[in-house]
Amino acid sequence: MRNRVGELRTASGISQGDLGTALGVSRQTINSIENGRYLPSLPLALAIARNFRSTVEEIFIPDEEELT
Amino acid sequence: MTNATLTGHRGATVAVLVVGGGGLAAATWVGGDHGLAIGLVAFYAVAAAAAYIWSGRDSDVGAIMRAGGDERQRRLDRDATALSGLAMGAAAIIGAIVSAARNHGDIGGYGVICFVGGVTYALSLLIQKRRS
Repeated sequence: MRNRVGELRTASGISQGDLGTALGVSRQTINSIENGRYLPSLPLALAIARNFRSTVEEIFIPDEEELT
Repeated sequence: MTNATLTGHRGATVAVLVVGGGGLAAATWVGGDHGLAIGLVAFYAVAAAAAYIWSGRDSDVGAIMRAGGDERQRRLDRDATALSGLAMGAAAIIGAIVSAARNHGDIGGYGVICFVGGVTYALSLLIQKRRS
């Protein structure tokens, strides 16, 4: 599963810590999500999408094998 | 909104060390080994101080030590707890086997640990199954 969290955050000009604070999670968790080490829960994924005024599907992109 | 990394109570792990270490030291004192009891108090006092300092850090381990943190940090804690439970269970089973071989079938305290672990796992599975 790829994601665009890092890209969107950078475009927004905010730090990982700021995004974490906005979402109620730690800076370390934002870092893990951006690097693909941690797949967030559905509520957190929705909160991320809402934060960037986007949808979960536009931010979290499944790999081909995950779609089959 | 608060920073999730700094949630929880800084004294959580300290309390476990103080209560557990204090109880162990008191039991050792009552058992008659006063030197070891004083040594245990010193050891757990240093460990509690280190835990207090560490739990104030803005890190995953710090958050877990405060019994706080976000969903990922709680999962880290849960996974580590499960793994340590497996290790303790394996050690208890091996200890029971060795004890049985050495003491004509008497598994001693290992039996209690195995019983508590097994019953807790079975009950936990039933409860978790109902919840999900």
